[in-house]
Amino acid sequence: METLDIPVLSLAVAFLLLIIPVAISFRYGLKLVTPLFVSVVRMSVQLALIGVFLKYLFIWNNPFVNIGWLTVMIVVAVFASVRSSSIKISRIFFPAFTSFFVATVSVVFYINTFVIPMDNIFDARYLIVLGGMLLGNSLRGNIVGISTFYRQLRTDSNHYLYVLSLGASHREALLPYLRESVQLALRPTLASMATMGIVTLPGMMTGVILGGASPEVAIKYQILIMIAIVVSTITSVVLTILFTMHVCIDKFGVLRADVFRNGKQVSSN
Amino acid sequence: MRSTVIEFKNIHLNFNDRSIIQNLSLKINQGDKVVLSGKSGCGKSSLLSLLLGFITPREGKVFFDGAVVDEKTVWDVRKRIAYIDQDTSLGSGTVHDLLVFVSGLKINAHLNFAVNDLMKLFELNFEVIHKNIKELSGGERQRLAIVIAVLLNRDVFFLDEITASLDKHLKKKVADFFLNREDWTCVVVSHDPVWTENSAVRVFDFEEKKWKH
Repeated sequence: METLDIPVLSLAVAFLLLIIPVAISFRYGLKLVTPLFVSVVRMSVQLALIGVFLKYLFIWNNPFVNIGWLTVMIVVAVFASVRSSSIKISRIFFPAFTSFFVATVSVVFYINTFVIPMDNIFDARYLIVLGGMLLGNSLRGNIVGISTFYRQLRTDSNHYLYVLSLGASHREALLPYLRESVQLALRPTLASMATMGIVTLPGMMTGVILGGASPEVAIKYQILIMIAIVVSTITSVVLTILFTMHVCIDKFGVLRADVFRNGKQVSSN
Repeated sequence: MRSTVIEFKNIHLNFNDRSIIQNLSLKINQGDKVVLSGKSGCGKSSLLSLLLGFITPREGKVFFDGAVVDEKTVWDVRKRIAYIDQDTSLGSGTVHDLLVFVSGLKINAHLNFAVNDLMKLFELNFEVIHKNIKELSGGERQRLAIVIAVLLNRDVFFLDEITASLDKHLKKKVADFFLNREDWTCVVVSHDPVWTENSAVRVFDFEEKKWKH
């Protein structure tokens, strides 16, 4: 089964569909036209460029280049997830990068080594594509996870300090916040898994079928991907919180005010 | 002679670039009942935060049982002190959830969390156990914080305006409860005369930085 290519002119016809959200935005005064325009242009340009880039990446298929590109993807994902929290990116970049790297690379290499029968575990078609899919989900999970964890610690600081004053260890005092953040971060992934096939036909599976594979193969890949997503998301969220805690919380167990973008120093040291 | 439990030595503390405490030195011995007096905002409550390591002084040192309170020792210091303030943040679950959490902390594993007698003593209806903490009145929350502090079986108490939301006879009951225990060291921040009426109490004037009596 061959994939039917879409002529460029036909793709332009697809853009005509955007008249519908534009009309809705005008009708209800949603002021979405500019952000929609910016997003559509960015998406189209980025994908066009990445299409060209991936084409050469797949042709070269050099392990170092592939790992290098995966690293670039991780850096971008870390920036995007940390930017959504109120923490200064300079303070937690390295711990967040380490957690994303460990969670993504370990899961991808596990799959490439033990699950998919392949000769080259650095193959760009699997390393980059799988890595990108896991990173996208880790990014979403971490946006919720990091911001919930530190926002809760900040707004609930009096209770947190009270728990420390009761003689709680660092771990005991932080565990309720970690639990809540990870549960919230995982909720969309778990909900999506639970309804998959009934409510949603995932993009990856659709892509594989459109790419010419049989539905049986597509479903096996989809199951694999969903397991990988849930593992890498929970791992990256937990590791990001654990690694960033050492930077954001001092040795007295107190949240540092100066790690926040709008933070004020509470006491002079 | 009783040993010194808490010592604040030449403490200077800033808060948002404003000087709150200048050159304060204070020693508190085992079993002392001390009331810190002074205007609101003069830094009395900050002493507790200093001792618990929640804030650090610009200059000076805090000692507990002769050892400097630092990032290593503070974890043990917290296991010796029970702290209550006028609006202790007890969280958002039910009273039962809170008691389960507190009794589940490793430091409290050996304690008997028999709350009934203490709740009765402080006239706290046992039915509150199933209520959400947010639904309790200020006085009920205050008494619950006192019950928990006593259950912790500590020997040093920092009591910051803990009788503010209690009625007259409960104020007396609470003050007598803490002040009549010879082995307990109590540091009290309060404007309430119920604490200073007791002859065992020494009053430290926080602004003058000297003992009144």
